[in-house]
This record gives sequence, C-alpha cells and structure tokens, in this order.
Amino acid sequence: MKRFLRLLRKDLQASLLPMGFLSGITIILMFLIRFKISTGSWPVEASLAAVAIPLVFLPLWLLWQSFQTLRSEWREDTVYTLLVLPVPGWKVMLAKLSAIWVEYTGLLAVTVIGTLLFFAPLVQEAMQVVPSVAWLVRNGLLLYLVSLATLASVVIFVQLAFIVGKMVGRLQGLVAIWTLILSGWLVDKLGVLLEPLFRWLPTLPVHRLFRLEELRQGIVVEWNLAPEIGTWLGILAMLVLTSYLFEHYVEVNG
Amino acid sequence: MNTTNHALVVRDLKKKYPKVEALKGVDLTLPQGEIWGLLGPNGSGKSTLLKCIIGLVNPDGGEIEILGSAPSRQTKAQIAFVPEVENLYRWMTIRQAIDFTATFYDDWDEARVPGLLQFMGLDATKKVSSLSKGMRARLKLILALARKAPLILLDEPFSGIDPASRDRIVEGIVRQFKSEEQTMVISTHAVGDTEQLFDAVVFLDEGTINLQGNAEDLRRQYGKSINDLFKEVFA
Repeated sequence: MKRFLRLLRKDLQASLLPMGFLSGITIILMFLIRFKISTGSWPVEASLAAVAIPLVFLPLWLLWQSFQTLRSEWREDTVYTLLVLPVPGWKVMLAKLSAIWVEYTGLLAVTVIGTLLFFAPLVQEAMQVVPSVAWLVRNGLLLYLVSLATLASVVIFVQLAFIVGKMVGRLQGLVAIWTLILSGWLVDKLGVLLEPLFRWLPTLPVHRLFRLEELRQGIVVEWNLAPEIGTWLGILAMLVLTSYLFEHYVEVNG
Repeated sequence: MNTTNHALVVRDLKKKYPKVEALKGVDLTLPQGEIWGLLGPNGSGKSTLLKCIIGLVNPDGGEIEILGSAPSRQTKAQIAFVPEVENLYRWMTIRQAIDFTATFYDDWDEARVPGLLQFMGLDATKKVSSLSKGMRARLKLILALARKAPLILLDEPFSGIDPASRDRIVEGIVRQFKSEEQTMVISTHAVGDTEQLFDAVVFLDEGTINLQGNAEDLRRQYGKSINDLFKEVFA
C-alpha cells in the first residue's frame, strides 16, 4: 500500500501545474460570466451555458491527461525509473488512474464551489425545482460515482492503447489508435456475448435509487445489468492486460 | 553448471532493433564480489546488455541469470541500476527523489544518505531541475549506493561529466562498494583514469565480446594498461 501511495503521490504532484492552470481558468471564466451578468451585457441563459464550458471540456482534458501521464514518462526518460521498480504493473497503472480520478474530483469541486460562490441567486432559483438539498446531494454523489466508473473505463482503454503502441518499433500512433478502436469493440462484443450468463440478475431500479418519484410520480427507469457485467469484466481484463504488458513486455526507447 | 555463486550469467544473448543488431549472442559470467568494467565504443551494445539484465528491453534470444534466478520482479529488487539517461523526476527535490526511491527497496540504508550527500556535495533541499549534469549524475549514484543491492549496474556514469564530478563519483564508488556482498558492472566508452576501479573487464564491440578477463592478468599478458589495450582494440 505504501508503494502504491507513493506512486499516486508522484503522479498527483506531477499534475499539479496543469491542474492549477485549469482550475484558474475555470474560476476566471466564472468570474467573467458573473461580471457580464451583473452588468447586463450577457443574458442569463447564455451565461449559464457558458458556465458549463469547462465541464464540456473536462472529459476531453481527462482523456488527454490519461495519455499525457504515460507519454511524459517516456518523453522525459523517467520510465527508466518506473520500469526498474520492483512493483507489479497494476500498481503503476492503478496509481495513474487514481491520480486522474483525484484530478477530476478536484476540478469538479472547483466548478461546484465556483458556481455556488458566483451564482448563488441563480442556484437558489434552481433549487426550487428539486425536492430538497438532501435529494440533490444524494443524486449528485450517485452521478459522481457513475462518472468515476465511466472515466475509469476510458482511462483503461487509453492506457492499453498507449502501452501497445510503445511495444512496436514503428507507427506507434497508428497502432495505438487501432488498439483503442479494437479494444472498445472487443469489450462491447464481450458484453453481448456474456449477457446470457448474467440474465439471472435483477434489473436495477434506477428510479428508486435516484428517488425520482420525489421529483415526479410514476417515473419508472430500470437498468438491465446483464450486458453491463460482461462489458465491465472485459474492461477489467483490459486493465490486467495493460499491467502485464507494462511489467513484462514494454521497452524503453532504443 | 552451478551458477549460484555467480552474480550474473548471460548465455547467447541476442537483441535486434529495427535498424541494428545490438547483441549477437553474448556469453558472460560474472563472479560475486568484483567490479567489472564493460568497455566498448558508442553503439557497441553495452547499454543494451545492461538494459536486458534489468528488464528495460526484452532480449530476442538467450538466457539471463541474476544471482541464480531468471529475471523477475524479485531480481529487480536485487539490482541497483543507474542509466545513462536523465531518469530523475525533475520537479522533485533531492530529498523527494531519495524518499521516492527508498520506498521501493527493502535494502535501502537510510543511514548512508547523509554521508553520501555530504561527500557528493549535494543539498537535499535543491530541486533536481536546478542541478548541473554532474550533480544529477552524483545524485543518481547516491540513489544506487544508498542501497545494499547485491548487484549494481552503472551505465556510462562518467559520460559528459566534468573531471571534478568524475573524481568524486570514482571515489564514491570505491568508498561504498562492499566486495564481500556486492558485485558491480560499470559500462564506459572512456576508460581513462577510471581503470583503477576494475577488477575485471569485458570488451564489447558491435554486439560481441572480443576480450574479457581479470584486469591484472590482461595487463600482465599484453604488457600494457587497460586504457592502452582499449585504444588498441578499438582503434
């Protein structure tokens, strides 16, 4: 655990600069929008859409960051340090994934706090639509957990694509892109293939989990888990494969 | 053959890169407790050989035995490796780099660190990015010598380094090396005044070994220093 935490700390410290930069940009953007609203230069609706801009770019940035965190190890030759460490590959990969999770959480927190600080009256107005603050917090946390899982799957695919790309001498970028496409397709097919094995699972009552009846009576949303289980097993297999390739097959630049 | 008394055994090791055959069937047996010089010009395969041993590149053929075992995560823990490239995280301070390395090795001897820092003339609060090339080379050596690793691999530790740093590194190696429990391999393409370090040498040229043996025996046999022999072989 100590070694995993040290790797995580290293990855977090390495991303402090881009994190600080993005957080700063988000706060400045919010401040600017708040200013425009107060002077009446921008309509409220357009301003609210502008607040969402950082959130729209967040997935793209995280995708880039999950690629960049591995690329920088090769570019700066620190992979010479990483590959000689007597630690299993999954600790290295999981530390990088966890660092992305922390970065995502940090940026989300900056956006939420910024929204509460700069747009308090608008937030209060919006609160009248939701049943209660507790309901909003609960559903917010649930959505946050779902987004963490989605983010993990994307990071795992990117990591696999990067590592496979590094295993070939030429056309590394092309090989990485094809690995990304093929692994996505494979995992999707695996979900379909394994679906009959998990049909015994009950459907997940999403409306109950998110307490949607408090919002409007009669809403029924259910989630068939059977194909999801196969897909997630496939994603887990991708993580294991990436870790194995990292520890045993990937090389430093010749 | 019983190889358990050997620090390192390499048999018929081959490695081919897309444009060059770096190792063409290298055979090497290193007994424990000696400092070996792995000598050869640039591109002779020295770095590739060391990278194969530590697991940074995968050989295309042959076998490697480290302290009687095949390369694995366990053997990585027994090797202290100093690469030729700048492998340090530049945003770290010297202290952070030391703490980071110490976390991963059970043979880390923290008691050695203050003495090594003082001897190498490094301030632990300084950032790696602010150090000169010579200072970074000294730091890399500290990270290797602060361990009680049975096998130490130094890849071109004197390359591009000022004479003052080189002398300090040589002296540091002499002071810290424990012959009763350690074996060291130092690769270099410039023998010069470092030949005093070596108990034995291997001459590597274009992926093959063309001379190896005890340094003193070679001096006696050829009637010249290792440095002169190196110049003659690779002229």
